[in-house]
Amino acid sequence: MNSFQNIVKMLILISIIFLFNTQIRSQAAFDSLKIKLPKHYFKTVIVLDSYRKADQKFADTANLLAKKLNSYAIKQFNASFYTPIYTETYEVKEKGITKSTHLLLTGNFMLLEPIFSGISQHSLIKIGMGVRWIYNSGKKGVWFVDASPFVTKDVTYESKGYFRLASTFVYSHNVSESFNWRVGATKSFLWGNKNYWPFIGLRFGKLDKVNFSIQFPRSINLNVPVGPKLSFSMYTRPQGGMFNFSNNDSLYRIGNESTFSYTRYELNTGFRADVRVSNNFNFYVSTGISSRNNVTFYSEKANKEKPRLPYRNYFFSKTMGPALFVNLGLVFKFGKTRSFYHEKNMYDVMDLNNSIDVGDNTGNTGNPQIPITPKSKKDINLGSIQDLIDYNDF
Amino acid sequence: MKHFYKIVILVYLFFYSGYSVAQNPKDKVAELRVAFISKKIELTASESEKFWPVYNEYNDKIRAVKKNLRQSYKKGVDNLTDKEAEDLYQLDLKTKQAEMAIHEQYSGKIKDIIGAKKIVKLHVAEEEFKLEIIKNIKDKSD
Repeated sequence: MNSFQNIVKMLILISIIFLFNTQIRSQAAFDSLKIKLPKHYFKTVIVLDSYRKADQKFADTANLLAKKLNSYAIKQFNASFYTPIYTETYEVKEKGITKSTHLLLTGNFMLLEPIFSGISQHSLIKIGMGVRWIYNSGKKGVWFVDASPFVTKDVTYESKGYFRLASTFVYSHNVSESFNWRVGATKSFLWGNKNYWPFIGLRFGKLDKVNFSIQFPRSINLNVPVGPKLSFSMYTRPQGGMFNFSNNDSLYRIGNESTFSYTRYELNTGFRADVRVSNNFNFYVSTGISSRNNVTFYSEKANKEKPRLPYRNYFFSKTMGPALFVNLGLVFKFGKTRSFYHEKNMYDVMDLNNSIDVGDNTGNTGNPQIPITPKSKKDINLGSIQDLIDYNDF
Repeated sequence: MKHFYKIVILVYLFFYSGYSVAQNPKDKVAELRVAFISKKIELTASESEKFWPVYNEYNDKIRAVKKNLRQSYKKGVDNLTDKEAEDLYQLDLKTKQAEMAIHEQYSGKIKDIIGAKKIVKLHVAEEEFKLEIIKNIKDKSD
């Protein structure tokens, strides 16, 4: 019995040495060609997004501030990017799985112009740079952590800037390619003020096919890819933020405040078309109804001086009726990446990164990197043979 | 906002004008290929989880070595010096060795994941896909 065990041990050892030897030879042969493979799965992506909401009159004329402000519209431009800075893959031989870690640098610049026709025009900016870490366990789970610090400032008039931090932590579980759940927590300003929310997500359907996704508190989406070039979606998502607003129009009359807080949120329900023009560029066009338009003003400093009051005791708060909105975006993608066809966890990694938008926004780049299988072979021509040689040993 | 619309239209026209070039045929073939293979070899969920990362890595490496060789030949062979011809010949040999070594290494890994029966199916599916594409191109040119 002992000699049998020894033979088995010897065989295992030989096979390990053989396997190791094959790997070394393979790596050496590959290295001798001095070929550099792409390191990352993520491309560097730059998004330019423009948003406009129609003008609405304040109905409450009894309110002096509402009367002064007169009407409210939104004009917003947002430029954001993410770029991979570190990617590591680990092969767990005994389990036959491949784990990966991704670290991305993110950045965001937003120019928000709330248009109150009764007062002078204010331009508010939000600038931030953050990091996100995504870990693919190689089995069912993907972990996501995002930290997005940013500064907001009213740049039209002299005002002080405010530093804030939005952050999200999510565990995403791929039960199958067609069903995923997510749970986590988020500190976000999307619903106006600083809020700590649980993050709860559910997705039914594959990411490269028709799917329905609820990602509370960020979005509800029905995505319908028509082909590799075009995809439609219907969605509901909040949009908003917390900014500081210069008091040059003397909207706040108590005390001598140069700046007060302005918060806004709205619920956008709309239809969107994403067009993948090329590997390096896509764009989206979206329109719909903006409802629950909420705008508030409050002085955090004055409220802090009154300990019995919550810091967000508003001196002005109005929620307006529905209005039309238009949203356009350009998505530029750079760099070569590793392939991840049919890797459900990597698709989820991509989706997490896109559905939780950079800089505590809800733009969503529309998963431009997830490959969608073409329905026909009719476009394949002689030029494609060259490619076939890349993949197949003719 | 007006400027933004102008930018949208300009960028769209710029990219659309080169659409046929920009639409990467490599990606299209690769996507069709993996869809074809996944249908043919019928992986279980657990096999699929392990198989695709390895298979994608294998394809990336094979693609990279082939591309490297092809680019060297693109410079032309008619006016090569003896030294350049020798270098190209050596590169050709090294490429074939590397392909063989990569194939050997990854075949072993893939066999451990999906077993011998399915790896045979995989090779058959790869060949069938080649034939199907060639047939498709031939039908179009007739």
